This record gives sequence, C-alpha cells and structure tokens, in this order.
Amino acid sequence: MTTTTTTPTVKREIKVASPTRQRVMGIIFLVIGFGIWFLFSRDVEAGTYTKFGMTTGGQVASIPDLTVPTLATLNILAVVCGVLGVVQLVRKDGFGKYTNLVLGGVVAAFVISFLTWAAAGKSINFAGLLNTTLLKAVPLTLGALSGILCERAGVVNIAIEGMMLMGAMVASLFASVSGSLWIGLAAGVAAGALLGLIHGVLSIKYKTDQIISGTAINIFSIGMTSYISSKFLQVYQLQLNNPGTFQPYAIPVLSKIPFFGGILFDQNMFVYAMFLLLALLQFGLFKTRWGLRMRSVGEYPRAADTLGINVFRTRYISVLLGSMVAGFAGAYFSIGSVGGFDEVMTAGRGFISLAAMIFGNWIPVGAFGGSLLFGFADSLASKLAILGVQIPSELLLMTPYIVTMIVLAGVVGRARTPAADGVPYEKESL
Amino acid sequence: MTKKLFSLLAILIVAAMVLGACAPAATPTAAPVEPTAVPTEAPPEPTEVPTEVPPEPTEPPATEPPATEPPAVFKACQVTDTGGIDDKSFNATAWKGVEEAMAEFGIEGKYLESQQQTDYEKNLKAFVDEGCNIIITVGFLLGDATAAASTTYPDMMFSIVDYAYDPVLPNVLGQVFTTDEAAFLAGYAAAGMTKTGKVATFGGIQIPTVTVFMDGFALGVQYYNQQKGTAVEVLGWDPATQTGSFTGNFESKEDGRTLGLSFIDEGADIIMPVAGPVGEGTAAAVKERGNAWVIGVDADWYETVPDYKDIVLTSVLKNMNITTKGAIQAAMEGTFAGGVIVGTLENGGVGLAPFHDADSLVPAELKAELETIAAEIIAGNIPTSP
Repeated sequence: MTTTTTTPTVKREIKVASPTRQRVMGIIFLVIGFGIWFLFSRDVEAGTYTKFGMTTGGQVASIPDLTVPTLATLNILAVVCGVLGVVQLVRKDGFGKYTNLVLGGVVAAFVISFLTWAAAGKSINFAGLLNTTLLKAVPLTLGALSGILCERAGVVNIAIEGMMLMGAMVASLFASVSGSLWIGLAAGVAAGALLGLIHGVLSIKYKTDQIISGTAINIFSIGMTSYISSKFLQVYQLQLNNPGTFQPYAIPVLSKIPFFGGILFDQNMFVYAMFLLLALLQFGLFKTRWGLRMRSVGEYPRAADTLGINVFRTRYISVLLGSMVAGFAGAYFSIGSVGGFDEVMTAGRGFISLAAMIFGNWIPVGAFGGSLLFGFADSLASKLAILGVQIPSELLLMTPYIVTMIVLAGVVGRARTPAADGVPYEKESL
Repeated sequence: MTKKLFSLLAILIVAAMVLGACAPAATPTAAPVEPTAVPTEAPPEPTEVPTEVPPEPTEPPATEPPATEPPAVFKACQVTDTGGIDDKSFNATAWKGVEEAMAEFGIEGKYLESQQQTDYEKNLKAFVDEGCNIIITVGFLLGDATAAASTTYPDMMFSIVDYAYDPVLPNVLGQVFTTDEAAFLAGYAAAGMTKTGKVATFGGIQIPTVTVFMDGFALGVQYYNQQKGTAVEVLGWDPATQTGSFTGNFESKEDGRTLGLSFIDEGADIIMPVAGPVGEGTAAAVKERGNAWVIGVDADWYETVPDYKDIVLTSVLKNMNITTKGAIQAAMEGTFAGGVIVGTLENGGVGLAPFHDADSLVPAELKAELETIAAEIIAGNIPTSP
C-alpha cells in the first residue's frame, strides 16, 4: 500500500520545474512563434483561404465547414505563440505548473499553422484527419495494452506482432467457416492465448531468454500464417477467407454530439472495446488489489513471494491475458478493418505498439497517447500527399517513424521499466 | 530441465523455418503490379552470352530428349513466380493463356510453382529435361534465371512475362505492356463518372511499374478536362512532379483502408489503388462509406474480388494470357523469334474491363467517347505518358 501513496508525491516534486527549464520553455514558445511566421506566413499570399472540413465523408454535417483567411490565421497564431513566450520569460515562474499545458497548446498551434499553410487555397478534412488518427491508433493501443499486461508482471513480450498475425488469420478463418464474426473473434483471441501459453511456459517455467522465445514465436507465426494462407485461404477464398467485417454502430445520443460525436461514437465494436479495455486496465492496474499484486511481481518478485503472492501464477495469468489482447488486436486487422486475411498484413504494427508502450511509460493512458501520436503523424503524412505537397513519398512515409524516434529519444530518459521486467523468477535460488 | 527446454525451442524454431520456407516470400507475392520490362536492367546478362556458350554446347540434355523420343504433342510449360499459380494476378493470368492454348491448339500444358527464388533455376532445368517445347517464365524476378537458362539451352524457346532484354536474346521472347494506355481510358472514364469532381489514385511503392498506371490515369483525367472544359481534380498523384500518395508496402490492407477513407474525406468518389491486396482495403473503405467506386488493376476485380463487385466501376487489365498464347502460337508455327512482344490496346494486351453492374449508369455518350479515344491512342494521336 505504501508504494501507491508515495509514487504520486514523488511525481509532484519533479513537476516543480527549475528556473532554467522555465526559461528554455519560454524560448521554445518564441522560436515556434517565429517559425510560424518565418516558415509559413511569408510563403502565403494575402487573399487565400483555407477550408477545414468538419465532417468525415459519408456523414451528415453536424457543424459547418470552417473557412479561414490563411495569412491572418497564421499571423494570429504566430503572435499568440510569441506573446505566450514573452509572458513565460517575463513572469516569475512563468506559467508554473501549467507550463506543459501551454507547451501542448503551442505545439498544437504549430501543427494547425502547418495544416493551414499546406492547404492554402484548398481544403483539408480536419474531422477525417482525426478519424483516421483514431483508427490507426486502435491496433497500436491494443498491442500496447498487451505489452503492458505482460511486462508489468515482469515478462517481456516482443511476440505481439506474431500473436496479432496469428489472431488475424485464425479470426478470419473461423469467422468465414462459422459465418459468425463473434466466433471468429473468440477464435482469434484463443489463438493469441495459445501462443501466450507457449511464451509463458518457455519464459516462466523454463526461464529461457524472453527475447529469444518471443522472436521464435514471431518467426513461427509469420511462417505458419503465410503457409496456411497460400495453401488454403487464398485457394478457397470464398469459403475460408471471406469473413466480412464488424459494421460501425452509432451510439444513440452520443454520436449526435457535434464534431466529436461522429469521430468517437460512430465506429465499430473494436474502437469501443479499445476504450473499454483502456479504462479497465488503467483502473485495474493502479486501483485494485489485482493490479498492485501484478505490479509487485513485476517490480520485486521476491518480496511479493514472501508476502504470499504466487509469482508464477500471477505471471501466467498476466501473459495469457496479454496474449489474448494481442489476439484481439490481430482480429481487428482481418475482421474489424477489412474483411479477410492476407500474408503479413499486420506490417510491423506489433513492434510500433511496443514503442507506444515504452512512450507511455508502461501506463495504459500514456500508451494510448503514444499510439495517437503515431497515428496522427501517419495520417498527417498521407493527408499531405493527398494535398499534393511536393515532398517525395519516401520521406513522407518516414515521418511517423521519425516522430516516434524523436519522442522516444526525448522521453526515454523518464521511462522506467518495471524492475524485474525480463528477469525469470527463481524460487529459492541457490 | 534445460534439455527439455532446448528440445522444445529447437522444435519450435525448426518448425518455424520449415513453414517459413514453404510459404512464398512475402514481398513478391504481394507485389501486385508486377514490374514491367525495364530494358536498361538487362545488359549485364546478354554480354555474357558469347563467353558462356562455348564451354556448354557439349551438354546433351537440351537436344537429346526430343531426339530420342520426339514428343507427340507440343508441350508448353510455365514456371511461376513465388506468388504461385493461384495468385489472382500475373501467374494466374499467364496460366490462363496456356489453358486457352491447350483448348484451342490441343497442346499439353504444365506448370511448376516456385516456392522461393532459388527454385527458379531448378524448375527451369526440370522442364528442359522433360522435353518442353516452350517454357514460359512469369515475372520480372525470373529475369536473371531465364537469361542464364537461355544461354545454357540455346535450342529451347523461352518467353518471359514483364521483362525485355536489351540486347535481345535469340531464344527469349519478352512480354511487356503499355499499361498507361489502358489506365488513360480508366482516368477518362473516372472523370466522366465522378459526381464530386475529384478522383484519386495511389500506389504501393513508388516504382515505375506502379507509377505507369498512375501517370496514365492522371493524364486521362487531364484529357477529359481539356475536352470538356471541366476541372476534375486528381488526388494522390501529380504526373508533372512525380509526387503522390503511397502506402509504402504491398501488404497492409489496413493502410489501404485508412488511405481510402482519407481520399473519401477529401471528396474523391472514384479511387484507383495500384497496390495489389492493399487495394482490397480501399474497396472495404469504399463499401463502408458508400457513394464511391474503385477501379481495379491487373485483373478484372469484378471477377477476382467478388465481395466488392458492386463497387467496382471497371478495371485496368493487363492481359498476359493473350501475349502468352501468342508466344505459344508462334512457337508452334515456327515463327518464334527472340525479342519483345508488347501488349497494347491495339492487340488486346492491355485494356479496360467491362463496366458490368455499373454499365447502366455509364452514359452511352461516354462509352462512345472511350471507344474513339481508344482508337486515337492506337493511332498514336494521344500521348498517354508524360
């Protein structure tokens, strides 16, 4: 119990920022303000307008599209950033504990300026941008939750990619054969659990190197799914690989909320399930006995063992739960997004979700933030290509990865791995 | 304990490797739009011809089997790429050509699937030993293996899909396609059918065999604008600067879906994805949102992706079956010569698929215009590449 009560106080102490940091922040705000003017404003002719679409395609408009004069918007944003910078520098203690919030606002201002500039004289669908951001974040978040479940209990799981792939294949196969998406989903989750069991036995019972066991599962899954796919699924496409997809379900009332309703509450089951799992895990991990036990096993298994917690059982359960979530994430690809399995269709998302997990400091909500960041960078890059910004496609495609790298590099100093992560527990060693 | 563990791990890894090896290599399978001939890539091979031939001619297998037991029936044999015979793309289409030749000329047809790239040489040799009359190899990736085999067995006739040798090999007939001509028609049709005034195209990876589709499509739209004074926009590709939208892979259908949603969000109502299976993700997005169409590539998606047949406007066809059948026919009639056979609109090597269910929605006027334009392209009056 003591651990839970002391952690927040430690965090609060860190937040009392040093004067240097406050000064640096002020300078950053100023630089961004100047950057908006220097990079964007000077490039735009007066009289052009940028139109922001506020409704995703295929939905009834809840609020009208927003058309703004490009130059004026850019200048206003530049000035606002500059003023914030000056205030931060001049006022004693700057914005104090709100500094990070202001930083977020300034970064947002920069992104909006960038969009306003890139779509000068044209239109960009802002609601659509957020919508694809969320969709891209769904499998990443689920993958990251899977990683958190395993690693908080002290078992490294880099087999998420393999479990996703297997989950995707099995879900598609069973849904096609049975004709029920729910059966397919259950089968996909079970496939994840089965691989998790292998991973668990290898790394908990036999204490093998968890990286190697995870890699083996990844290679095995790629081989196995590609084999089955090319020998059966592709040959009997209509019978074995034709599952259909979960259709979007608009939640009454909530989906009518202007702007956000259409993005958040008119999605298919996987999006709601992601939010539910996210909330459950966030709460479970930090507010329940189960979560405390799990974290103690991941931090200091010897102490947990002494207090009568069954370390092995806790780890098995966590790994199994985590693998099931990974199988669920895999099912998203084949029956939640597009109907059908295709070889290596997860395309490395399992590994990106590990990055999101680390970015989020092994905290569910943080991992969701990391996934959103990656999804946003990815969506933004494809939007820019659609808008016809003259950037070579290879560079644009790199953007999300570069953003992830920068953020990881910037945050990794603060990231704290569970202490016993990846260390097999030996009862009564020596 | 450790023993158990190691045996378990060993089994797992061996299984993974075996299964991994059985499965076709990822990228080539998925690669949708198989590289059309890039003549400049070939030179290294042909230069070796003079040096490599002398030591070999003593080798008998190429000439002996036909001599000892002259085949009663003509044999056409196909070596597939790693995608396998059922790839719904170029391997399957080329095999369709062999099957058509079998039905029409009464010949025997055989195929061997290459599970991995190291199988190419093995499979080619197996067919030579079996006494095939012509060997069809499918795909850009078989270019080197086919060139090597053609010098080892100078009496054998070969034909390769999507490759052209420069200088030509005397016993290899390359099959290449002017895909841009058909894509031009698709662009024109899309411009004529759009209700929002915006159409879109994107690719898997920015390579010439992909962008040739996108170029043709964009120019077709431009031509429509010129003719009709309209301002239909092409999202996702600018033929002048050669920049545009790509998913960066040929695997992730999910990417195809989100990109499709983005295009629809920006107002496009006709999308041509040039990215193999990724395009099926786009079709899923179109089906989800409604009021939009996709244009298929390579094969007629109305038939190959029946799930989405109600949203397929048309497809840009690359008819390897026609060129393959042509090569077989030439070999049978003794008119076979090394060189290049180009699949064009004129000879039916490329074309626009029928509108199928959408037929009633396409104005008769537009159909007539498409026919005129096709004739103009064949006559060489309309440029289809930038």
